[in-house]
Amino acid sequence: MLNPSLSNSAPVSAATPSPIISLRGVKKAYHTPAGDFWALHGIDLEVYPGEFLGIIGKSGAGKTTLLNMISGIDALTEGEVLVNGVRVHDLDEDRLALWRGRTLGVITQNFLLMPTLTLLENVLLPMDFCGLWQGRKSVERARELLRQVELEEHIHKLPSAISGGQQQRVAIARALANDPPILLADEPTGRLDSGTAEGILHIFERLVAAGKTILMVTHDLSLERRFSRVVWIADGRLVADRQAALG
Amino acid sequence: MMRPRWRKVLSDLIGNLGRSLLVVLSIAVGLFAIGILITNHRVIAEDMVTGYRAVNPANIMLVTTPFDDDLVERVKSVKGVRDALGVHKISLRVQTVHGDWIPMDFNAIPDMGTQAINRVHLLEGTWPPEDKEVVVEQSKLSEIGVGLGDWITVELPSGKTRRLHFVGIVKDLTLGAAAGGGGFFLAAPQGYITPATLPWLDQNEAWNTLYVTVEEGNDEAAIRQVAQRVRREVEAQGVLILSSAVRTSENHPNRIYVDAVVGVLFVLGALVVFLSGFLITNTLNALLAQQMVQIGVMKLIGARRWQVAGIYQVLILTYGVLALLLALPLSARFSYVLLDYLANRINLQLQGFRVVPLAILVQVVLALAVPQGAALLPILHGVRVRIHEVISGIRPSEAVQTPHWIERLQKRFRGLPRPLLISLRNTFRRTQRLILTLITLTLGGAIFIATFNTQAAIERYIQQLSRYFLADVNLTFEAPQRIQRVKNDLAQVPGVGHVEGWAYTRADLMGEGDQVLDTVQLIGVPIETTLVTPILREGRWLQAGDRNVLVVNERFRATLPNLHVGDTLHLRINGSERDWVVVGFLQLAGQNLGHLAYVPYDELSRQLGQSGRGLLFRVAADRANLTLAEQEDLARRVDAYLKGRGYNISEARAGLSVLEKTAKGLDVLTNFLLILSGLAAIVGSIGLAGTMSLNVMERTREIGIMRAIGASDGTIRLLVIVEGVLIGLMSWILASLAAFPISRLLSNVISHAIFNAPALFAYTPTGFLAWLGVVLVLSVIASLLPARTAVRLTIREVLAYE
Repeated sequence: MLNPSLSNSAPVSAATPSPIISLRGVKKAYHTPAGDFWALHGIDLEVYPGEFLGIIGKSGAGKTTLLNMISGIDALTEGEVLVNGVRVHDLDEDRLALWRGRTLGVITQNFLLMPTLTLLENVLLPMDFCGLWQGRKSVERARELLRQVELEEHIHKLPSAISGGQQQRVAIARALANDPPILLADEPTGRLDSGTAEGILHIFERLVAAGKTILMVTHDLSLERRFSRVVWIADGRLVADRQAALG
Repeated sequence: MMRPRWRKVLSDLIGNLGRSLLVVLSIAVGLFAIGILITNHRVIAEDMVTGYRAVNPANIMLVTTPFDDDLVERVKSVKGVRDALGVHKISLRVQTVHGDWIPMDFNAIPDMGTQAINRVHLLEGTWPPEDKEVVVEQSKLSEIGVGLGDWITVELPSGKTRRLHFVGIVKDLTLGAAAGGGGFFLAAPQGYITPATLPWLDQNEAWNTLYVTVEEGNDEAAIRQVAQRVRREVEAQGVLILSSAVRTSENHPNRIYVDAVVGVLFVLGALVVFLSGFLITNTLNALLAQQMVQIGVMKLIGARRWQVAGIYQVLILTYGVLALLLALPLSARFSYVLLDYLANRINLQLQGFRVVPLAILVQVVLALAVPQGAALLPILHGVRVRIHEVISGIRPSEAVQTPHWIERLQKRFRGLPRPLLISLRNTFRRTQRLILTLITLTLGGAIFIATFNTQAAIERYIQQLSRYFLADVNLTFEAPQRIQRVKNDLAQVPGVGHVEGWAYTRADLMGEGDQVLDTVQLIGVPIETTLVTPILREGRWLQAGDRNVLVVNERFRATLPNLHVGDTLHLRINGSERDWVVVGFLQLAGQNLGHLAYVPYDELSRQLGQSGRGLLFRVAADRANLTLAEQEDLARRVDAYLKGRGYNISEARAGLSVLEKTAKGLDVLTNFLLILSGLAAIVGSIGLAGTMSLNVMERTREIGIMRAIGASDGTIRLLVIVEGVLIGLMSWILASLAAFPISRLLSNVISHAIFNAPALFAYTPTGFLAWLGVVLVLSVIASLLPARTAVRLTIREVLAYE
């Protein structure tokens, strides 16, 4: 699966602007009754604006932990994470939440929508928390985002009334609510059939084309060709990093 | 448009109606109970005082030989006296609708329309009555059984009868206030007539009872001083005082019952505040545990801690407000149902429906502040939740291990069914939650069991009281009769077995100097009596060789707190004073009966100059254990036979009926406690049901996973029920233990109010078993209903459930 010929360092062209995400010597240990478990062993990674980065690895390789380090939802054991020039792990919890809400859109495998809110309200919620859009403007924006993911007819439905694929599109719309420059997607197609998954990937490609930076975790090797760049992770270490063939 | 975060509050509220209802009910039921307890506590205590004061009750009551208006005018000018009123009181027999003859007190009052002292409240009909008409006090009306507009047949001392037109029903709050009358419950039915009616009833028009109000009506010492001056004035006019009593303007005759009720309400109120606090804490803990993933998601998409906390504070505030809106009117309404019940039975005049600010304040605080306080820790815990843990479902920070004892149990009893072991593990895996749940359920159960125990203690005591009423028929004659003659005559009545003649009189209990403390009823019983086996609290009963000795009841302890066995009491009987030695303290039906003492018959009859004669006769049937109907039949035959023999009988009453009348005050408390135990059952049950249901709701996802891996609906139901029953049983055991001190506390409160001593203790299995039944049934239902909903969901729905 691994390609030993590929370098572990990012082969970035000289014309590449400064990275939007930088990880330096990132280590993460979990303390368990059986002793410390090292999920990440000193990760160095730079991600550049407009990249569609695939993070591929087996289950338990450390993919999700890596994303969590970037989003700041889990604490570092060692190292440094800079996103958009901000040292993520230096922020206190509330600043981090606000920063995350404005800078990152997070999409997960199990959608994590608010079950008692309509689709429109789910998309409005991050805007309400972060305060970038308010009142009628926020509603117009939420409607527009839902239109972009082709759910405008369902905006007043509850998540339980739509399919899994549709829920994931709502999660994408929600992730875009505050117009963050970066999207972090953790196995976003993991629970979807191939047709629906294809639709989600199309949306991501459109977003990248529009200038968003997307980091997507997957264990599905077949998706490798869809990314502009792929890093391979195994046992908490990046073992390969290359520009995708079609990237 | 409403902001999305508040939409979330609203949709959480409406979207999960079952859960919202449970939370609101759990809060409301505590508020409801506390509202009732405080409203009752305040209203009953206030209205007893204000209601009683409003009738301008007599502070001094003297029963005397006849006197006229001159004396009344003289008394009015005695220093410290505010007003005085002469009344003629007589006891005559009236015929009930069943044909029996019972004594009734008639009060002939001058200027009834403007009666200044001991005013009555007209409830129905007319007040004041015209000549040859009678108005009857409502609380004893049922004993006669006549209806308004009917005629009441009165037997005159001569044997002639008269018919009085019954024209009005009144409430007289002073009923039972007179000294030596046995209090409210033993009081005879009361009738009110004009003085002009007296000659028509073969009575003279002179007064024989003097009511006096004093300037400082709330100061008992001041009243006693005025009473002393009044007595001197009365006696100076050659009028003999037969009995006297003093009472402050706020001392309602049934005050001890109100004290008991207020005491019980206070204890239960305090306990219910705790119960309610735990119930709210427990419910909100469960609620927030269900919301952890959503809290994690909100933080993930940019919510700061104060924003998340704000959402749940508003949600909880909304639950509190809804619970308050539900509890406020319901508790106010039910309070007055309970108050009406009590007011009618202990003769209180309610001052009308009103809002009790303290009840509302406590309910508002409980509804708004306690849930916020109770939810503070869970909310703080919630907002600190680690996002990656809640959204991944892996929460090492909350990792729990199976308790070692369950593992040991599993090893020792290898045959234990797997569902039982899983349920055991589930039950104990969150110790903190379990403890909180158990405290809530334990407190609810303990209150329920304790009220049952206290009620049983009173009931058992009422049964014990029958030891004073072993005779089947209690006879009271108009005048003392030769005992041997009565015995010989009664021997002719079929069914009569043993007969005893007792002496009876009222005496003045003398204090320091020439001060009369109160009136004492002295009952002279033969030393060898078999018809009284007293409940002795201290000292001994009468024995051969006793002369000037008495065995006194609980009321003496209230009047003379330092009285001990061996002490001497100074009594004045028919004008002559003598010392009597206290040899024992007995306990009867409470302080309300007044001062009562048993003395040797020989000594009392000798002092009364009535040797060989008796005023009271106790008749035992020739066979044991007669029913009330049989006793009544015997009483009727005895009454008819003796009347035929020319005796003037004041009353012939079945022993059980006297017991019933004597214990009626205690009965009121028993029924009141029964209602309160119902209230405790409602609070406890809703707490139990809510906690269990929320526990199961929280595990909807887990249920889905178990179904996904092949567990049948039956297995899941079994797991949930076993867990519910386990928690229920544990809480029952703890509640049973906690019920002991609470029962003791409640019993003590009542005992001190009624008997002025810690006297009532009993534990009945009924409360324990009833609560066990409630716990088992509710545990099963409360666990099964949400479990049924959970197994009905498709696995996909359940796994998506948050």
